[in-house]
Amino acid sequence: MSYRIGIDIGGTFTDFALLRGDRLRLHKNLSTPEDRSLGVLEGLAALAQLEGCTLADLLAATEAIIHGTTVADNTLIEMNGACTGLLTTDGFRDELELRRGYKENIWDVRLGPPQPIVPRRRRLGVPERVRCDGSVHTPLDEDAARAAIARLRKQGVESVAICTLFSFVNPAHELRLAELVREALPDAHISLSHQVLPKSPEFERVSTTAVNGYVGPRVTHYIERLCERLAQAGYARQLLLMQSNGGVMTREYLAGSPVRVLASGPAGGVIGGAATGAAKDARELLCVDMGGTSYDVSVVQGGSAPAESGWNWHHRYLVAVPMVQVETLGAGGGSICSVEAGTLHVGPASAGAEPGPVCYGRGGTRPTVTDAILVLGLLSDDEGFAGGGFRLTRDGVEEALREHVAGPLGCSVEEAAFDCWRVVNANMTQAVRRLTAEKGCDPRALTMLAYGGNGPVFAAIQAQELGIGRVLVPRTSPGFSATGALTARPGIDEERAYLAPASDASVERLRELWAELDARAETFLTAAGFRRADMQCRYQLNLRYPGQNWSLTVDAAQVTGEQDLSFADEQLVARMVARFHALHQEQYGHAREAEAPEITGVRLVAATDIPGPVFSGGSTAARQAATAHRERRANLGHGFAPTAIFRGADLTPGHEVKGPAIIEEQFTTIVVYPGWTAHVDDAGDYELNRTG
Amino acid sequence: MSFELNRRLVARRPPLATSADVDAVTASIINGAFETVCFEVATHLGRAASSAIINQSNERNASIIDGNGRLAGISVGIPQLLFVSPLAVRWGLENFAEDDWGPGDVFVGNDPDYGGGHLPDYTVYAPLFDAQGELILIQALQAHQGDTGGKDPGGFSVDSRDIFGEGMGIPVLKLVHRGRPRRDAIDMLIRNNRFPSFAGDIAAMISAVQAGVQALQEICDRFGTETVKAAVNYNIDQTNERFRAEVAAWPDGDYPADVWIDQDTAGNPDVHVRVTCKVAGDQLTVDMSGSDARPELVNVWNTFANTRGYAIAQLASMVDPGINKNEGLFYAVDMVIPEGSILQPPPNKPAALGAFHPAVEVGEAICIALSPILPARSAPQVYKLGMPSAVIGFTDTGEMWMDQGVDVRASDASATQGLDGWGAMCAGLGNLILATAEDAESRFPVLNLGREMTTDTGGAGRWRGQPGTRNVKQVLAPVSAMTWMVSRKHPLRGLNGGNDAAPYSNHFLVGTADEYEVENAINAQLPAGAITAYQYGGGAGFDNPLERDPVAVREDVLDEYVSMEAARRDYGVVLTGSVENCDVEIDTAATAALRAQMAAATA
Repeated sequence: MSYRIGIDIGGTFTDFALLRGDRLRLHKNLSTPEDRSLGVLEGLAALAQLEGCTLADLLAATEAIIHGTTVADNTLIEMNGACTGLLTTDGFRDELELRRGYKENIWDVRLGPPQPIVPRRRRLGVPERVRCDGSVHTPLDEDAARAAIARLRKQGVESVAICTLFSFVNPAHELRLAELVREALPDAHISLSHQVLPKSPEFERVSTTAVNGYVGPRVTHYIERLCERLAQAGYARQLLLMQSNGGVMTREYLAGSPVRVLASGPAGGVIGGAATGAAKDARELLCVDMGGTSYDVSVVQGGSAPAESGWNWHHRYLVAVPMVQVETLGAGGGSICSVEAGTLHVGPASAGAEPGPVCYGRGGTRPTVTDAILVLGLLSDDEGFAGGGFRLTRDGVEEALREHVAGPLGCSVEEAAFDCWRVVNANMTQAVRRLTAEKGCDPRALTMLAYGGNGPVFAAIQAQELGIGRVLVPRTSPGFSATGALTARPGIDEERAYLAPASDASVERLRELWAELDARAETFLTAAGFRRADMQCRYQLNLRYPGQNWSLTVDAAQVTGEQDLSFADEQLVARMVARFHALHQEQYGHAREAEAPEITGVRLVAATDIPGPVFSGGSTAARQAATAHRERRANLGHGFAPTAIFRGADLTPGHEVKGPAIIEEQFTTIVVYPGWTAHVDDAGDYELNRTG
Repeated sequence: MSFELNRRLVARRPPLATSADVDAVTASIINGAFETVCFEVATHLGRAASSAIINQSNERNASIIDGNGRLAGISVGIPQLLFVSPLAVRWGLENFAEDDWGPGDVFVGNDPDYGGGHLPDYTVYAPLFDAQGELILIQALQAHQGDTGGKDPGGFSVDSRDIFGEGMGIPVLKLVHRGRPRRDAIDMLIRNNRFPSFAGDIAAMISAVQAGVQALQEICDRFGTETVKAAVNYNIDQTNERFRAEVAAWPDGDYPADVWIDQDTAGNPDVHVRVTCKVAGDQLTVDMSGSDARPELVNVWNTFANTRGYAIAQLASMVDPGINKNEGLFYAVDMVIPEGSILQPPPNKPAALGAFHPAVEVGEAICIALSPILPARSAPQVYKLGMPSAVIGFTDTGEMWMDQGVDVRASDASATQGLDGWGAMCAGLGNLILATAEDAESRFPVLNLGREMTTDTGGAGRWRGQPGTRNVKQVLAPVSAMTWMVSRKHPLRGLNGGNDAAPYSNHFLVGTADEYEVENAINAQLPAGAITAYQYGGGAGFDNPLERDPVAVREDVLDEYVSMEAARRDYGVVLTGSVENCDVEIDTAATAALRAQMAAATA
């Protein structure tokens, strides 16, 4: 009884990470888009075979399965969610469509609207009104509500989102509307805004609730089916699901807000990154994941990946639940290179896996990043690529680059390939800068952690452009999200609105709100089999200067074990205000000591530890130069030159490789640029340092 | 402070002196880096500022200006205003020696007679010098302030006859000298502003441009200052060439358009903007001759810098959106702006409201003028409301509060060929994030009673304008309410045979015996409990409504964008069933007959 299994379903592959003690086994098999739970069972069977046991034996000996799913993302990409209706305060049914005025491109008058997930005919207002203090201004008109529900019924609505003004202060009307919906539509999925996102303002809440209603039935159905299949195969314990905030929770907790699994895939990688970095004494990290179609960037601060709620747009809808902030750019190995009006563009269009880059030899004709870096000699065509599955070909690559890039730019093919490399690099650098700007952090203070098939090819050069001097590349980098899922902690991350000037905030009210959040966390965590004694609670306050629209989150206390709110004493607010001034100074270069800040909300981040993979760090072995396997002509930014090629399999802890050089690993390639040195640490992971 | 100064400020400026060459790819990378710096600067301000108009509505615009005063890069913001900062900075540059410019300095300017927009639009800017002391770049940041210290709170006076009634004009003022804040100057600004939150706003603007200069320094370190200068020159030339290449593909000719504003704030009717877009080869000239110059007009005097900005913003929306936005646009377009007209007023004219109208009419007229030859990109980048209803009151402790009324709404989201109007506003205002009811009600004694789109207020057309919302609000304390109504008589114009949008209207004291419609500018005292109802105009239609797919009309009826009656009246589509029963169907034969009859009647 000792296995833990992490599973991450991607577009092409489903990744598995099997943990027994501190031994980690990775496996990959093709995803099964028509019924993704099948691919999960296939992979588990394959893992059992690798372990030399039956699937039933493996599952009987597994104490936790931790799963990141993309089913919510796919529902929004494919736009095939539930037929959803919205009940809202009379007079406010258009908020979802008006989007607070937001449009994605201010220069493009031809950008069309997003496909509606709840068209206007299914957005109906009901006379009722609660004011900001929770008092009822207009009682709920139940007859009007019944008529609206009847109209939804006529339209075949399967899922009803309910969002009324100030329901997060007083949810009575939403709760009553839910009862009325259940009477008339007993099978409908119901999403209540005060449960999905109990905070202001209304657009953020209604959008999140509507998306929850739209994806909810499919997410719930998928999870139920997977649980059934696992149960049939002999698994009797918890399925823990990855959430967008980087934590995991049970399906019972997620039942009320399935939207919380949206964008949870990349979150697993970031959480794994934080654990890896912490083991290697790198607590301020820039995590970069470059795969086939996208480049995902995120920041780890103080050893953790903070989840932020607010202005998170996904697939053209705002989803304001806490999310690990991942900036996604359409830049991957498959990104297409083209010239328009004399300007070279790389991405966001991608050749995908089929036909893929020209060098995959599967019929691709448009040059991609992978083709360009093959021409530059960063990748090899004479050995197995992607773990030996197939070999890259040069057939057609130069022709494609000549036709689409070199010709229009009037340069040679090799120069064109180099320009593609520069542009994709620059695009990625800009994405990083945008993210760090929003986070208010200086990239130069970060360590880069690179993973994904293509991440380590570009990692060091981007680090250099950003002023970063240290890069980590875990040996497990190609299956990092599944490994990351194993390190994610069960927990909840919730907040409650409380608006008051700090000068007359009620400590009693703060305590009440924290106690309410604490009770919720305890209920769900103990139901999932965790002990209160192991519960770690971070109590936080959101503060801002009067008039500001963005709050900063300040830690009030961290408590492990039984509930203890004694920190919330009469001096609490004064301490919080002092910390807020200091944090504002740090983030925005000035503090306004003369102004009394206001409190905007109360937060609790509660989590419990579970055994995860051990990430080790340190380099105790003596440094010794590694021996190159061979040489290849390659351009690492300073023109073509013979470049030393090392085989990852030949390298052991202590080995050192000075740039310019290329290290070829089973699933990835690490480019050691001039001025950089790579070495293998005790864990077998790579660390690259800028030395020149 | 003269037309001669304006001529000097807009005179074409030379490229930066450099012997360095730059390749296309490096130049484009540096352009991207500039855009990112602007984004960083704007984000910094949005996060740190204290006023809702900046931190919630995103009325903030960062731009990078080169050492010769040319626009080198911009980022997110409000297109019209992104093009305004260079002239204010050029006035600062005219005084380079006298004002002792040096590293670490930060300046502010807001004066419409010295290259600025209207008084609330403060431009804060900071220079970057190289090691030899040569001025390379200037980080500028413009943002709308909640007050300007004039006779009326909020920066807008509906009856001000000159600029001095509106507030304090600042041609240029140094706020930070060699890295040290000038307490005297900053205190004077804070003292001349009614809002305590202004101190936070100005502190945030200063720290934001300082962060921008630091980021620009890093770009120069990374690429080399000479390469950066060469890239600025290259990118500006590229934009000029690409814009001209588009113009060269347009048919030569003169394309005139006339637009009217209902009236000025004193009731002088039909304020006239005339634009003729002259296309000759690759040269576009926007000639505004014939625009109104009546000296008796009150409050409809645009600022010179805004006239140029609004013209360029509309034009930038009518070409490939991938063309970089920089000084090259001004190189490519010649503008004739008659001196002394409402588009280039004599000195000391009030500017607060003129920066709305006739400013947007310049863009609207350009859009109408070019719509026959550019139907696929003819969407007016405008806001046709005179101004929102701003309400001002005082707390028990005497502190002033203001709900600026930039609330969630739909207005003026027009169709263009192949695309119905959608969302809240035109694309260009897509970064102006509108205020929410829950946030406003937590701050101010107001109650939002509703703001749904009103059926049939979008202009009919083969492509339909988005309907406008009716925003109903109640004040819970006595307030003064200020607004200015236009577009009641001259609503947003339909294009290429599409129908006009429904007009604006605004009622005060709704539901009482004293209810009235606001017909022009007003500064009214409202008692606690008073209700106002602002019907925003919709978007305009595009092309003949009789050509709209009847299936699309049926969908519009089900969604209550269009009524059954209007489907018949405006689109010639006959429907059966009812919306309530969700069984609306097209009567194909009756529709064909009605459409034939309507087509014959108009022919």
